[in-house]
Amino acid sequence: MKTARYISLFTLVLLAGAMVGVVAGFSTPESIVAADKVYVSSATYDPEVFFPGDTGTLTIEVTNGNTDTGIVVNHAQLSSDTIISTSSAYDTSSNLGPAQTQSFTFSITADGLNGIYFPTFSLSFRDADSLYYRAKVKIEDTPLVLAILDKPDTFSQGKKKIIYAQVANPRGNSVKNIILDISGTGITATPPILFVGDINSGAKIPVNFSVTADQPTTLHLNLNYDNGDNPHTVKMDLPITFGVDKKQANPVISNVQVKSDAGIYHITGDVNNAGLETANTVMVTTLSPAVPQDPYKNYVVGALKPDDFGSFEVTFSATDAETIPLQLSFKDADGNIYNSVQDVKLSSSLAGAAASNTGLPIIPIIAVIAILAIFIGGWIIYLKKIKK
Amino acid sequence: MKHSLFEVLIKPGGFFQDAIVEKESLKIPGLIVLALGIVSAVYAYLIGGLTGKMMAGLIPGMESIIAISTILGALFGVFVFWVIWAGLFYLISSLFKGEGTFKRLLEFVGYGFLPQIFGAILTLIVALQYLPRVIVPQITSTAAQDPQLIQEAVKALMHDPAMMEMTQITSIISIVFLLWSANIWIFGMQHSRKLSPRDAALCVGIPVVAYILYMVYSMAVM
Repeated sequence: MKTARYISLFTLVLLAGAMVGVVAGFSTPESIVAADKVYVSSATYDPEVFFPGDTGTLTIEVTNGNTDTGIVVNHAQLSSDTIISTSSAYDTSSNLGPAQTQSFTFSITADGLNGIYFPTFSLSFRDADSLYYRAKVKIEDTPLVLAILDKPDTFSQGKKKIIYAQVANPRGNSVKNIILDISGTGITATPPILFVGDINSGAKIPVNFSVTADQPTTLHLNLNYDNGDNPHTVKMDLPITFGVDKKQANPVISNVQVKSDAGIYHITGDVNNAGLETANTVMVTTLSPAVPQDPYKNYVVGALKPDDFGSFEVTFSATDAETIPLQLSFKDADGNIYNSVQDVKLSSSLAGAAASNTGLPIIPIIAVIAILAIFIGGWIIYLKKIKK
Repeated sequence: MKHSLFEVLIKPGGFFQDAIVEKESLKIPGLIVLALGIVSAVYAYLIGGLTGKMMAGLIPGMESIIAISTILGALFGVFVFWVIWAGLFYLISSLFKGEGTFKRLLEFVGYGFLPQIFGAILTLIVALQYLPRVIVPQITSTAAQDPQLIQEAVKALMHDPAMMEMTQITSIISIVFLLWSANIWIFGMQHSRKLSPRDAALCVGIPVVAYILYMVYSMAVM
C-alpha cells in the first residue's frame, strides 16, 4: 500500500515536470521582448468628432519598433459599448517586419450621447501576449450655426432684397460639403442654392443672397453639410412680411396746376423725392378717363435723388370728367417698378363744364316764360277791352 | 312828324296813327337800325375777340380776321333781320288780307327796333362785366388737325360758367326788348297793313313767340 502511494507521487512529479517543459519551449524571452517594441503609432477617426448615430472609420496604425526582428500578428479587434464596430475583426496572421507599420481600419457607429469615449483596440501576437490601446473619441451633438447678420425690416412685392447671413462651425472638427438651400412659396432667391464648401472648427463664413418675394410668405433656409460621410441639416425659417420700406424712395407730386387749351388739358407740377433712396426713371402720365395727347402723353422726369425735385407736364383730353387719375411711376436700383396714383380735379371752368352745367337753366327759362305770359296775357286783356 | 321818337316807345298806336299819313320814308328807321347795328357790332367785337383768342394759335392774324368779320356780320345782320321780320309780317298779314305797301311796313318795323337799341346797350354792359371772367381755351396747331378737339374747345368756351351766365342774362334782356319791339310792331302792322288789333297781334305774335321759344330751346340745350 505504501508502495502504491510512492508510485502516484512520482507520477505527479513527472507530469508537473512535463508541463514546465512545454511552457518553457513556446514562450521564449526574445519574442516577448520583441512584442514589447510593437506600438500603436496613430489612431485616426473619420470624422474626428461624431454626432450621435454617425458612422465613420477608425484607422489604427501599428508600428514594429524592432530593427532586426519581425513579429507575427494574428488577431485585431475593436471593442466598446458606445463605439460599435460594424466591421469584422482581423483574424488573419500577418508578419510585421522590422520598422514596418500596418494599418487596421474599423467601420464604427457612434452609439452614445455627448461625451468622450475610449474604445479598446487589441492586437494578438502569435509569439507573445496581446497589445491593448485605448483610442480616444468624442461624440458631440453641436450643429453648425446659421445666423442672419442683416436683413430688410420689411419686404415689398417684387423688390429684390439682400439678406446677409453667416455660417459658423462651433464643433471640434471641420465639416465639408456645406450647401445652403433657399426656398419658399412665391420666393425667387438668387442663387437658390449656394455652395459654401468646407469649414474648419471655430471658423465662420459669410453667406449673402438676394430674395424677391411676390407675396408675404416664409423663407426656408436649409443648411446641408457632411460630417464625414454623414449628412446633417440645419433649418431656419424667416418670415417675409410686406410693409413700407422706411428707406424707399418716395416721390411726391405737388404744385399741381391744370390748364386747358382747346380741349387739351395741361397738368404741370413738381415731383419731390421725400424718400431716402434714389427714385430712377420717374415718369408721370394720365389714366382713363383721360386720354393722353401729344406733346406730353408721358413725361419722364428722370432720376431723383433724396430731397431732389423735378417738374413735369402732361397733356390729355377728357370728356365729362371732374377728376382724372395721375399716375407716377419710378424704378428702384433693381429695376422694380413702383406706381402711385393721385386724383387731380379739373376745375369746372376748364373742364367740361359740360359735366357740371348740363342741367337745364330752369330759372332763366321760367323767367322768359313768365315774361312771355305777361306779354301775351296783357295783349289778350287789351284786345278784349277794346272789343267791348 | 308830330310825335317824337320817344312816343313810339310808350304810345306806339298814336305814333303810327300820325305816321301813316306822312310820306313813306326809311331814313329814320334806317338810322335806328344802324344805331342798333353799331351797338350790336361792338358786342359782337367783344364776343369775336374771345373766338379770335381761342384761334390765335392756328393762323397769324386770325384774331383780326375774326374781329372784322364779326363786326361786319353784326352791322349788316341787323339790316338783314329788319328785312326778314318785315317780310314775315308782310306774308302773314297777307293771309289776313292786309293792305299797304311793303315799304310802309318796313318803315314801321324799323321804328320797332328802337327798344332793342336799349336792350343792346344793356347787353353790352353785361358783356363788359362778364367777358373778362371767361377762360378761353387755346387751339394749338396740333389740336387744329383734330376736328373733335376743336369741337371740344368750342364746347369748353360755351360752357364756361361766366359765358353761360352771361348768355342767359343777355338772352332774357333780348327777349324782353324783343317783346317791347313786338308790341310796337303790332301797332305798326295795324296801321301799315290796315289790320284789326287781333289780326295784327297774331301776325306779329306768331313769329315772335316762335322765335322766343327757339331762343328758350337754344338756352336749354346749350
